[in-house]
Amino acid sequence: MKSVITKYKILIVVFLGLLSASCNKKLDVKPQDTISPDQIKTEADVTALLLGTYDDLQYYDGFGQNYQLISDLIANENDISFVGTYADYRRAANRTLDRTSTVAEGIWLNGYRAINKANIVLSKLDVVSADNKDAVSGEAKFIRAVFYYELSGFYGKPYSDGNLTTNLTVPLVLDAVVNTGEIDKAYVARATVQDMHTQIVKDLQDAIAGLPADNGTRANKYAAYAFLSRVYLAEGKYAEAATAANAVIASGVYSLTSSFAGAFNNASNSSEDIFGIQQSEQSNTGSSNFGIITMFDSNTNGDRGDVQVDANQPTIYEAGDDRGSFYYDGKSISGITGLYTYKYSTRYKVVPVVRLAEMYLTRGEANLRSGAQVGDATPLEDITTVRDRAKAPSLSAVTGDDFVTERYRELAFEGDKFWTKKRLKLDIGTLAYDNDKLILPIPERERDVNTKLTQNNGY
Amino acid sequence: MRKVLLFATVMLLLLSHYSYSQDRMIKGIIKDAKDNSPLPGVTVKIKGTTSGTVSAADGTYQLPLPNGATTLTYSFIGYADQEIVVGNRTTIDIALGTGNKDLSEVVVVGYGTQVKRELTGSISKINASEIENFPAPSFESALQGKAAGVVIESGSGKLGQGLKIRIRGTSSIGASSQPLYVVDGIPLVSSSQSDANNEPTNPLADINPNDIESVEVLKDASAAAIYGARASNGVVLITTKRGRQGEKTQISLDLSRGFSNPTKKRGFLNARQYVDLLHEAATNDGKTGFAIGDFASEAEGIKYMTDYVDSYMDYYSLGTDWRNAKVNTNWEDQIYHKNAPSSQVNLSASGGNEKTRFFVSGFYSDQDAIIKVNRFRRYGGRLNLDHTASSHLSLGVNLAVNRSQLDRVSDDNAYSTPGQVVAQMPISPLIDSATGKLNNNTLYPSGLYDAQYNFDKQVNFHTIGSAYVNYTFFPSLSFRSEVGTDLYNLTEDEYNGKLSSDGAGIGKGTFVSTQTVSLNTNNYFTFTPNLGKSHKLTATLGMSYLQNDNKGSYLQGENYPSDAVPDLSGAATITGGSTTNVRYTFLSYFLRGNYSFMNKYLFSASVRTDGSSRFGPKNHYGWFPAVSAGWLISEEKFLKGNNVLNYLKLKASYGITGNSEIGNGRYLTQFQVTKYPLNPGYSTDRPGVLGNDSLKWEKTKQFDAGIEFGFLNNRISGEVDYYNKQTSDLLLAANIPYTSGFSTVYRNAGDMENKGVEITLNSRNIDAKDFVWTTTLNLGYNKNRVKNIGGQIFESSGGEQRAVEGQPIGTFYMAKFAGVDPANGDALYYDASGKKTNDYSAAPRMVVGQGNPDWTGGLSNAVSYKGFDLNVLFTFVSGNSIYNRAGIYQAAGFGGGFDNQTHEMLGRWQKAGDVTNIPRLSFYYGNGTAESSRWIYDGSYIRLKTVTLGYTVPKVVTSTLHIASARLYVAGYNLWTKTKYISDPEVNTGSNDNSISNIGSGIDFYTIPQAKTFTVGLNVKF
Repeated sequence: MKSVITKYKILIVVFLGLLSASCNKKLDVKPQDTISPDQIKTEADVTALLLGTYDDLQYYDGFGQNYQLISDLIANENDISFVGTYADYRRAANRTLDRTSTVAEGIWLNGYRAINKANIVLSKLDVVSADNKDAVSGEAKFIRAVFYYELSGFYGKPYSDGNLTTNLTVPLVLDAVVNTGEIDKAYVARATVQDMHTQIVKDLQDAIAGLPADNGTRANKYAAYAFLSRVYLAEGKYAEAATAANAVIASGVYSLTSSFAGAFNNASNSSEDIFGIQQSEQSNTGSSNFGIITMFDSNTNGDRGDVQVDANQPTIYEAGDDRGSFYYDGKSISGITGLYTYKYSTRYKVVPVVRLAEMYLTRGEANLRSGAQVGDATPLEDITTVRDRAKAPSLSAVTGDDFVTERYRELAFEGDKFWTKKRLKLDIGTLAYDNDKLILPIPERERDVNTKLTQNNGY
Repeated sequence: MRKVLLFATVMLLLLSHYSYSQDRMIKGIIKDAKDNSPLPGVTVKIKGTTSGTVSAADGTYQLPLPNGATTLTYSFIGYADQEIVVGNRTTIDIALGTGNKDLSEVVVVGYGTQVKRELTGSISKINASEIENFPAPSFESALQGKAAGVVIESGSGKLGQGLKIRIRGTSSIGASSQPLYVVDGIPLVSSSQSDANNEPTNPLADINPNDIESVEVLKDASAAAIYGARASNGVVLITTKRGRQGEKTQISLDLSRGFSNPTKKRGFLNARQYVDLLHEAATNDGKTGFAIGDFASEAEGIKYMTDYVDSYMDYYSLGTDWRNAKVNTNWEDQIYHKNAPSSQVNLSASGGNEKTRFFVSGFYSDQDAIIKVNRFRRYGGRLNLDHTASSHLSLGVNLAVNRSQLDRVSDDNAYSTPGQVVAQMPISPLIDSATGKLNNNTLYPSGLYDAQYNFDKQVNFHTIGSAYVNYTFFPSLSFRSEVGTDLYNLTEDEYNGKLSSDGAGIGKGTFVSTQTVSLNTNNYFTFTPNLGKSHKLTATLGMSYLQNDNKGSYLQGENYPSDAVPDLSGAATITGGSTTNVRYTFLSYFLRGNYSFMNKYLFSASVRTDGSSRFGPKNHYGWFPAVSAGWLISEEKFLKGNNVLNYLKLKASYGITGNSEIGNGRYLTQFQVTKYPLNPGYSTDRPGVLGNDSLKWEKTKQFDAGIEFGFLNNRISGEVDYYNKQTSDLLLAANIPYTSGFSTVYRNAGDMENKGVEITLNSRNIDAKDFVWTTTLNLGYNKNRVKNIGGQIFESSGGEQRAVEGQPIGTFYMAKFAGVDPANGDALYYDASGKKTNDYSAAPRMVVGQGNPDWTGGLSNAVSYKGFDLNVLFTFVSGNSIYNRAGIYQAAGFGGGFDNQTHEMLGRWQKAGDVTNIPRLSFYYGNGTAESSRWIYDGSYIRLKTVTLGYTVPKVVTSTLHIASARLYVAGYNLWTKTKYISDPEVNTGSNDNSISNIGSGIDFYTIPQAKTFTVGLNVKF
């Protein structure tokens, strides 16, 4: 009997031992369709994270809708009407957004999602090959700069307001957060406008240095120049703005499309797109509830058509100007008939972010205002280049105001008016450029978790 | 860990140092408890061994009992198993019954069985007879009102939908609160695998209820802790029927046919009422408009408003004479099948000899829901096989294979769901006379119209199987090894035709495919040493491993050439597609000892350690111990033999269980693939969850104390339990600054409690030879309280309900309606100071009810007289509220649009002095239309859940027909309901997303009511 028991004992012990040894490893299961931070090990992984930020650029809380729409609603002077039912957009249109606004929360979150990924990329440069390090780093800095520029403009006072070391804008987070242990790095107070702009300019200059001239539909050197020209323009540094815009124009890489209509609804970047949001059936700004096409395109084409052009807006164009007839009649999903712009009228097409036409207008205006001439054209020649393409009547002379009006005409519905008004301290309707209601609230939800954040006036 | 195991193994082996010796003979007679007739074919087995015998034609049996053996088990198909301690008896006569009232009845527990009288935990057992032939798609529905403390909500009258089941309350906020289901030892995947954009479906609906021998619900920690990390929500053990050794093979045929109709229709205005009330609203609005200066005169205002509504009616009546109500469409009637048919065939055979036993069955079931389109068809088969290879070795397999097809309708929140058709104007014709086809020119896109072109078909292949070997070293020591699998394969084809509203003229399709495969093995020793007369010990030691792989894909496309090719292959444009691939694993070790001293002092202790891949390497493992004790007072000298109080037991248990149903990989920061054109990348999901590698189980500490009693030889018996469940380390999503790039991080940071009482009473009122009448009452009371959630507030998807500290989970929170101002018909609300106001914005949100009931229960009466049997079950629920979320559209005096209104609106305020709760009608300015307690109703109800009348054909007749038995029955379900609610009170719309179903309950949003069903059936045994 004894031997029988011994035999069993051995069998059982061996059996259980085998089971536990083989099974313990089975508990270490990593998700198969996602990757976790410790799996970011190769240049390809880091690059993929970098490309993940394009999803945030494309998202409706980025250039997929709100960077244009919310800007235009805030700077609205009977240009557009929001006729949809989304309460928060109606409030934005009435400038009655409150501190719990989902729009203010969404734009904030989307920006920092991209910024954090850019920060992660910058913290993982050691796995990127020497050949590509500058390009990857440059692109991450471009992304970070673009988002900070947009956020800073929405949630803080403009650079033109002065008080650079006391005016507060959004928090400047430059460290990556990937695990709970790093969460402290996100509890940051609001940065000054000065610090923010210094960082943005530095990042863009690094981007220009690191990015290649040709980078497919991703950001290249000229996209960084283009954004730098916007930043300098906002700062009133006209010579620098003209230089940056000129770098794009003089490169010869871009050319205006032959017709104004040709600049929009393209399947791929047009000859004048310096930077554009790409879309496809499977990756787009939205096709049912949100997205710039969904909002701006008539319901007769199957979209919501919640944003209509006011009858007043086309009156800014002179007779014969192609841009003054770039509209069609349609209706919204709730059956309200109205006028729609052709700029965003086809699904899954490129949404322009920076076009060459803007560079001409920026160089011309900056040269005019600085009194110097950067590049091989006078301000009048630059504005004429843009106006001729649209078949607008020729001008014999040009003023700063002409450039402002021309930007309204050329860049209507592209979110530019907000920035132009603020940098030049122009009233928006009856509101002064620095009115509290022209700045978004710091999201209440964010202040609940980060007590270091102060609220903007008026909220 | 391995050292502990080794030590325990060695101890077991040393203790089991016994050998076989002289046998003695045991004999007796087995009878049917109901009519005392002898029962042939009953399997009698020596517990712990594979040897046994079968009773002869006259019910007698005899078998040799080896010296080490202590216990005999008696089992017979259709009867409850019994387990008898032999002691020094040589004759054991026994009566087998079908009910669960017998104290020597065997109850299935985790990894073993126990006799009811020796239980120290809290377990409810439901037998086959209470589940068979129930006309609901899934067996859980048959448990409703049968087990105290088990609350089952089917939520709607749609078929195949997920059910919400709560055992002793909701014990989580962020993780699932559904129980763990285990069929024949194998844990099942019970969560919905269907298209996440529709309502959840129920994988358990694939289990044939007629295959079930018993269902045991493990409620307290002592019973459930052996399932450790998955046991906080209770465990439901399903045991399927097995073959029994018998003289002949028993073949059983069940046929039933039924038809169903809604229990209750809401009732909407007819065309004339609609026109009159809409005109009244226009008149009211005209007057209001003049009063606030919108119009120069009252007459102008009234004319303007009336013209406005008339223009709508002109349009939607398709030119018919709506002023004279020429068209009067009852849209509510249109959404239902009239007498929706269902039929079911079930054929089974069981039998075997001392070497091999089998149970084999096949079924076919076809059910039409009361709502159009919705239909559920199933067929499948089962084979359960047991083989005794030698006196040491037995082995077997269980295998069930099923296919089901569910024709689905859209979720309650879609225009295309038939439930929303009730909103259409009654003046809109059903058929457009110009085309002769269904009218699609209605106020809202018509679900009836779309139903012609759309479909959503879900097909499941579900295989649940396991194999086991049982090796008996000695009568006192055996080892069982089980390997099982749950293979669930689901495909869902959805198509919106080109002509439908959702198809947008181009046709849109979706294809979803999911395969979830669970692999499970349980390996354990059972040790029952003979320690003499006064000691009885059963010890179980083992391990378990579970691996689940879920692979899925979906594809979406549009631009179909025509509706003729509705497969995704017909889509010219693919607009989306992806795959999922998720694995989780559990590795567990468990040890349990049940010890009784002098047959009256009972002790049980168990410990389980669970490792799970759902938690990070730091927290893979958790410990889940439980202890319990019982005192059989009726075995004490001072009570023993007492004729009045024949049975009395006190028991108490305490233990810790866990909840790990939080989803996979939550401890990691996860980056998903982004599909930016030409440049795919990685990014976190939106809004973004930061990983927390210190995540661990939710933990529930449960205390249970109970008393069991029996009077007058168990004529009256019952059980009362008190429990206190304290859940801590609640898994909550905590907000973190967006500046981190993330939105939330999951933390174990909350506490919640459930306290309650459960009462079960059984009475054999009349127990004569030909006439038996029994009554069973069960009651459950549960009080939930959210104790600490870090000051956060979690809301249900609709925002009407919340989890907030100090309140029960699922509290309704909204403005409180204060009735109608008799002077002007304004809707009134309570303001912050408790005064009435007509200014909605001055009305703060407050607690106005709770979604979960205080009391639930069932009252069942069974009467049998000669060949007739009558079974009547009432179920009831009290203390909960229901919110009619659709009230803002369908009962708001047209304030939500031109939706047809419920009959409640006929009692509206009309002139100064009217005292009513229905405010003045107003479609333009609105009056009392915002979310408020105006649409909160008392959700209590009492319902005649089932009535079954059966007739068993006398043996004289059946023997001439050469059949063993035959029973005919008619049954009715949900025949009568008493409630204050305007529709069916068993209602809960929406998703089973964890946080939503934990917080949200009792919401009605165009929800399809329950079915009232009649069935006739026949059961023949050959």
